Amino acid sequence: MERHPASVTVEHLDMEFVARGRRQKVLDDIDLQIAPGEFFVIVGPSGCGKTTLLRILQGLAHPTSGHASVGGRIITGPGTDRGFVFQNDALYPWRTVTRNVVFGLELQGVSKKEAASRAQAMIELVGLKGFESHYPHELSGGMRQRVNLARALAIEPAILLMDEPFAALDALTRESMQRELLRIASVAGTTVVFITHQIDEAILLGDRVAVFSPRPGRLKEIINIELQRPRDPDVKQSAAFQDYVGRVAHLIGHA
Amino acid sequence: MEQDTPTTLLAPSAPGTAAGDEAVRPGFATRWRAWRRPLTTLVILLVGWELLGRFVLTNPLFFAPLSEVVAAGIDLWRNGDLETHIWVSLSELLEGVAAAIVFGIAAGVGVGVSQRTREYVEVYITALYATPLVAVTPLLILWLGIGVFSKAAVVFLTAVFPILINTASGVRATDVQLIEVAQSFCATRRQIIAKVMLPAAVPFMLTGIRLGIGRGIVGVVVGELFGARAGLGYLIFTSGQTFDVPALFVGIITLAAMGVGLTLAAELVEHRALRWRRSVSMD
Repeated sequence: MERHPASVTVEHLDMEFVARGRRQKVLDDIDLQIAPGEFFVIVGPSGCGKTTLLRILQGLAHPTSGHASVGGRIITGPGTDRGFVFQNDALYPWRTVTRNVVFGLELQGVSKKEAASRAQAMIELVGLKGFESHYPHELSGGMRQRVNLARALAIEPAILLMDEPFAALDALTRESMQRELLRIASVAGTTVVFITHQIDEAILLGDRVAVFSPRPGRLKEIINIELQRPRDPDVKQSAAFQDYVGRVAHLIGHA
Repeated sequence: MEQDTPTTLLAPSAPGTAAGDEAVRPGFATRWRAWRRPLTTLVILLVGWELLGRFVLTNPLFFAPLSEVVAAGIDLWRNGDLETHIWVSLSELLEGVAAAIVFGIAAGVGVGVSQRTREYVEVYITALYATPLVAVTPLLILWLGIGVFSKAAVVFLTAVFPILINTASGVRATDVQLIEVAQSFCATRRQIIAKVMLPAAVPFMLTGIRLGIGRGIVGVVVGELFGARAGLGYLIFTSGQTFDVPALFVGIITLAAMGVGLTLAAELVEHRALRWRRSVSMD
């Protein structure tokens, strides 16, 4: 079951919705190449279609034209090679932490014993040891998001898709979760596609940051973030970081 | 009874005793206080009944004081009649409710999951739910005889619709995102139903079952009034016809106790099954 990080390719991808009888283009001619093991961040204002793009990569939505592929295979539906971290944690309230983390493995028919041991490893990785038998309502927002992440990682995905996972958290929790994610991503070694509308979050986490413009979503520019790894949220104070923030803000501002 | 003495002795010490090593579980005094007031009401009502029967409604054809009802109850218990009646009514109720739970949940899931099924049957289910189905009891007795089976069928008919309807709306109320999570983990349709929709609908099912038990008790009594050889409804009916008021009250009280007992049992199950839910009104 050992999985290696996979590449992502998006070619000439268009996406249209029909809302109230009118066609609306949400994604316009998107081309992307994401390397295996890369931490790729998409940043843009709300309504730029970034969540739609992520849902297409997960196979929950289908493009109007063009296509997306993972590890060279065109995406036709959800696959166990991809793990999805939802924006609001979307945990099963009737399942304990362990039983939530085990969920994906359970669906795949992995033996109970192996599933439990893999889940335990993930729970420890995200720092929730001691909370295995808690129910979601007994956890804080940050802890629930950790469970959400552990659940996605437990199926050992080649790609981790994250849809604004920290948007609902308070500033302090968000910062500690960013630090945790940097650590976890380097341990798990998967490709990560991360979506956010926060410029500093994008720059802190990403190897590359793709800036999207709104309605219809277009790829404006991809910026290489050449900040040293391992990174720490303290890097936000540096001049280089502020420079990147200025560039991205400028691009978004002139959307 | 002389229940006042321990109350006054225990009540003042209550706040102090619970605070120490047993902080999680409320102490005996605290729990006793929760019972004290409803029990007081009960004692007043029972005494009032006795006085009413002795001094106001003294005609034995229309009313009986509590003491005579208790005596009649003891008699009926001694000669084994009461036990038979309870047993018959209880088995009618439990068999009917059990069948209603199995069928109601299965059909409720079917209706909740499939839009097409819903279009075929939803209107009729709602119509049947609103119909007082005890009205078909004479027909069921014609078909199935005056034994336990016909009454279980009445219970089934009255109890199945609240269970079915609640299960269906529970399934439909499943959070879309929870379904999407399962889809993103490549769940099959079957897995989504079994592992997401069913557990999500459990609180609704339990509500339906509780409503079903309540309606089922009515079904038992009505069924037995129409034709039976034993049962609490039968006891009430025959006692009324022979002006045996004390025995009539024994039937009513036993029935009430059965209803309270079953509702409490259902609440206990609900409490156990829904431990994962944040309680809304508890302190």
